[in-house]
Amino acid sequence: MTWRPDNRLALENDGSRVDVRDKVTGAARYTTDYYPEGLLWASYIRCPYGKAFLRSSKLEAARAAPGVVEVELEKQEGTYPGDRLGHICAESRQALEQGLAALALEFERDRPATDIEREKKPLETFDEDPSVQEKQADLERIFSEAAHTLERTYQTQVQTHSCLEPHNSLVDYRGDHATARQSTQATFSVRNELTEVLGLPPDKVEMHCEHVGGGFGSKFGLSPEGQLAGKLSKKHGRPVRVLMNREEEHLDNGLRPGSLQYMKLAIGPDGKLLGGRIHTWGSVGPVGGGGGTSNPSRYNFGIVAKTHQDVNLNSGFPRAMRAPGHPQGMFAVEMMMDELAEAAGMDPLEFRRLNETSDVRRAMLDVGAEQIGWHRRKPSGTWEGPLKRGFGIGVADWGNSPGEATITIHVYPNGNVEVLSGSQDIGTGFRTLLVDCVAHQLGIDRARVEAKVGVSTYPPGPGSGGSVTSRFVAPKALGAAEQARQDLRQRVAREWGVPADEVAAENGVFKHADRTMSWNEACKLIGQDRLTVTEKENGIFWKEQTGSEAVQFVEVEVDVETGIVRVKKVVALQNVGQAVNRKTVENQITGGVIQWISFALFEDRILNRQTGAMVNPNLEFYKIAGSRDIPEIVPIIWQSRPDAGVNSLGEPPVVPTPGAVGCAVANAIGVPVRRMPITPWRVLSALAERDGGAV
Amino acid sequence: MQPFNYLIADTLDAALAEYAENRPVLKAGGIDLVDRMKERLATPAVVLSLGEVEVLRYIEPEGEGVRLGCLTTLADIGRSELLNSRYAALAESAGHAATPQVRERATLGGNLCQRPRCWYFRAIHFHCLKKGGATCFAVEGENQYHAVLGGGPCHIVHPSNCAPPLVAMEALFVVRRAGAEERVIPAREFFVLPSSALDRENVLAPGEILTEVRIPRAPDQSATIELREKQSFDWPLAMASVARVDGRRWNVCLGAVAPVPWVSEEAAEVLGSADITPELAARAGEAAAQAAQPMSDNGYKTQLIKVAVKRALLKAAGQEVPA
Repeated sequence: MTWRPDNRLALENDGSRVDVRDKVTGAARYTTDYYPEGLLWASYIRCPYGKAFLRSSKLEAARAAPGVVEVELEKQEGTYPGDRLGHICAESRQALEQGLAALALEFERDRPATDIEREKKPLETFDEDPSVQEKQADLERIFSEAAHTLERTYQTQVQTHSCLEPHNSLVDYRGDHATARQSTQATFSVRNELTEVLGLPPDKVEMHCEHVGGGFGSKFGLSPEGQLAGKLSKKHGRPVRVLMNREEEHLDNGLRPGSLQYMKLAIGPDGKLLGGRIHTWGSVGPVGGGGGTSNPSRYNFGIVAKTHQDVNLNSGFPRAMRAPGHPQGMFAVEMMMDELAEAAGMDPLEFRRLNETSDVRRAMLDVGAEQIGWHRRKPSGTWEGPLKRGFGIGVADWGNSPGEATITIHVYPNGNVEVLSGSQDIGTGFRTLLVDCVAHQLGIDRARVEAKVGVSTYPPGPGSGGSVTSRFVAPKALGAAEQARQDLRQRVAREWGVPADEVAAENGVFKHADRTMSWNEACKLIGQDRLTVTEKENGIFWKEQTGSEAVQFVEVEVDVETGIVRVKKVVALQNVGQAVNRKTVENQITGGVIQWISFALFEDRILNRQTGAMVNPNLEFYKIAGSRDIPEIVPIIWQSRPDAGVNSLGEPPVVPTPGAVGCAVANAIGVPVRRMPITPWRVLSALAERDGGAV
Repeated sequence: MQPFNYLIADTLDAALAEYAENRPVLKAGGIDLVDRMKERLATPAVVLSLGEVEVLRYIEPEGEGVRLGCLTTLADIGRSELLNSRYAALAESAGHAATPQVRERATLGGNLCQRPRCWYFRAIHFHCLKKGGATCFAVEGENQYHAVLGGGPCHIVHPSNCAPPLVAMEALFVVRRAGAEERVIPAREFFVLPSSALDRENVLAPGEILTEVRIPRAPDQSATIELREKQSFDWPLAMASVARVDGRRWNVCLGAVAPVPWVSEEAAEVLGSADITPELAARAGEAAAQAAQPMSDNGYKTQLIKVAVKRALLKAAGQEVPA
C-alpha cells in the first residue's frame, strides 16, 4: 500500500483542463447560446400547490396575448407543486411570460401530504415482513448477547437538483430531418427518445451538446423540456426552446428523497457489530417510488433485518442525484457508528477499523487520521469555551465494472490529432480525459490533440451516470492511440526499410539505430487525407479494478451559544485507480466535498404544510454553501495498486461528507444532531433537549 | 418580467417632480425591486431610476456627526475609514451584507426601504395578508425565519441590516417631496409595525423620497453582531446593534427578529449608562429576549437574541467575542 503526500507525484500529468480558456472567457457555448432564426419559446403551465384543482383560467385571454402562439391545458388536477397541467408557446420569452400571466390560474386547494413522519406507516407494520420474521430468532439472540444495544432514528431532508445551468432544450424539426441541442448527461438517449417524438429515424436526428453546466443525475433522457420542444417543433415546423427557470428547477427537475432511518444495532463485548434491525422510509412523489437508502452498507454489520417503505407525498419526484441513496444512508450509518463507539467507550477511529470490511480503507483511515490530526480530538463535549472543535469520519466506495464505448481518432499529416466521442462533457473534464489519454499514449504534447465530443454522429459512448464515463472510455482512447502509434511506426519502418519491430516509438519520436524521425515528419508519411483509427474494445488497457474507496476526515467548529457550525478542514482520500489528470481529479473530489457540506448544513426543500407549495424555490432561501462556508479541503489521490485502470470518481467523494460532518458536530457539542440540515435551529434544539428544555 | 418604461433621473429635483406627478416605482440599486418584478410581485408601468443622481452619494462629516447620501452604496460604507473608526456598528453591517457584487450596487436608501424577504410575501401564489389576502401563512405554516417580537397580524422580519445600527446611533432620516420642506424623522420612528400598516414598512407618504441619513453625533462606542446560518450571502437570523451616544445610556436595537428594527427598552433599562462587563452584557441579552413570543419553529431565535446582544455589547466595549 503506497501513499504519496504530493498528488503531483502520483500522476504523470499536471495539465489544466483543455477547455479552461473557453470557459473562463465565455467562448464555451451552451445550449442557450444558440438562437436560430424563427425561434419559438415554450414552457409548461404548472400547479404551484401540493394538491389542487384548477377552478378557472383565462385561456382565451392568454391565447390573445401578443406573441402567444398556442396555449393548451391538458389536465385540471395538480398532485405536486410544479405539476404540469399544460403548455404555452410564444414568439419570445417576454410573450411567453405575459401569456402565462394573462392565464390567471385559480385553484381550489386540498390538504396536501407534505410530511414523511405523518404519512409513513409505523415501524411495527414492517416487523411482520417475512424477511424480518426469518431473522427473528437471530435478532433475539443478538440482542440478548449484546454488550450494548442502541436504538436511534435519523432524518435527512430533501435535496433538490439545482444545476447552475437550468434544464433546457432546443429542437429544430425540418420535415425530413432535425437538429437538437440539449443540456444533457446522455447525448444518445436524448437523440433516441427524440426519434420517437419526431417520427424520424436515428440517422435523421442530429443531437448536439457542447457544454453542460452541471447535471448531477438530473439530465438523462429527453426529459420534459425536450419532450415539449420536440412536440412543438414538429407541430410548428420551427425551432422551439424550452428553458426552465429556477423555480421549475427546484419543483420539477428531480430531487434526492428525504429519509427517516430507524436503526437498532447491537455490539459485542469486543466492540464488533453483531447486527440488528434497520427500517428506512423515503419520501417520494405522489405516485411511484425511488426513495431507497444505502443503509446498511460499507461496514460489517453482522446479521441485519432491513425493510423499507417509500412514502408518497404531494411533492416532486426523486431523480438520480450523485450517488443516489448513499450520502443520506451513510449519514445515518456514520452517526450510528459514533454513537455505538461512544456506548462502548471506544475511539470512533478504532471502532471503524474493527468493523471495516475493506483493507484499503483501513489503510486510508490511518493516513487520514494523521493528516487531520485525529490526536487533537477530545472526548465528546469536553472542549472549553463556546467555540467547540469536533472531528468526524465518513467512508464510501464505488463499483468499477467495464462497459461499452467507441473512440475514433484522426491523425492528420500536419501532426495534429483529433479524438472523437459522442458522449458529453458534463463539466467534469471528459475532453481533458480524452486528450490526456491520447497524448500520453502517442507521446506527444497535449496541445496537439483536440477532443470533439457531444454530437450524436460521433462514435457512441456512455451516458454520464454511475461514474462510468472515464472508466468505460479511457481504455478505448488509449487503445485507439496505441493503434495509431503502431500504424505510424510501420510507416516509418517502411520508409527506412527496416523491420517495424526494430523501430522504437517513444515520446512521439521514432528511432532506429542512429536514425530518428520526429512526430511531424512521421505524420507526413500518412498517405491518405488522414489516419483514422476506431477502437471499441477494452483490450490490454482494461486493468485491475479498485473499489474506488473513499475516506474523509472532517474538523468542525461549533458555536454552542448560537448553534452555528463551521467546517474548518476536510481531508478527503480517494482511491481512483489510475489517475489521469491531477487537477480534474482533485477538482472532482473537492467539488464533491463542497456540494455535500452544503447538503449537511444548509440545503433543504421546504414545503408549506397548508398549501404544499415550496416556500424556498430559489437560491436565496434554498441555501447552498458560499465561499466563506468552504473550508480548507485536502484532496488526497490514493492509488491502492500500481497496475490499476482508470476507475470511478464522480460519485464516491460525495458519499462520506454528510456523515463525517454530523459526527464532527456531535463530537464538538457532546450531543448528536440526528436531523439534517444541521442548522443553528437543530443544534440549539439538540442542546436544549439534552438539558431538558426545548427551544 | 412585464414590460415597463424606464426613466432615469439626472437631478434630485427632476426625480422629485416626476415622482410626485406620475407616481412611478423608484429604483436605486435595483436589488430588491428587480427581484419583485421578476416574480411579478411588482408590475410597474414606469420605473424611475435614481441611479444617476450622483449628488445623493456622499459620506460627509458634519459637526460631531456625519451625513450620508441615500445613494451611497453599502460597499462605500463598508470601505469608509471614517465610518469604520467612529461608526463601527454601521460599517460592520454594511460591509458584511450579501456579497461584494451586491454591495457595490445596493444603496443605503434601498437597504432601508426594501420590502420584506418573507417567503410568503415573495411568492405570488401565497395571497398573504401583506399582499391584501386574509392569511399570514407563517402563523400555521413554516416560520423558522419569522418574527419573535412585534409580530401580528403579519409576522415578517424587517430585512434591513443598516437600520438597527442607525436606530441605535439615534440617526435622523431626511425625506424630501416636491415643493415641500425636508422632513426629518428619527430613525426609530421611521418604521411601522404591521399592526398599524400592512402594505408598507415605513412612514413614507406618496411622493416622498428618503434622501439622506444624518447621524448627529458619533457614538462613543458601538458594535453590531449578526448571526447567520451561512457565512456567505445570507440574511441574518438575528442581529443586535448597540451604541452609547454622548456618554448617555446604551441603545440596543435588534434586527431580523421583528417587523421593524426593534428597540429593546428592556435591555437599555438593564444597562443604563454603565460600563460593560460580561455579566452585565449577559443580563442585557436576557432582558432583550424576555418579551419574545416565538411561533412554532423559531424559538431558537430567542437564544440568538441573547447572544447577539451580549456579544455586541462586549464587542463595543472592546472585548474579544467569538466570530
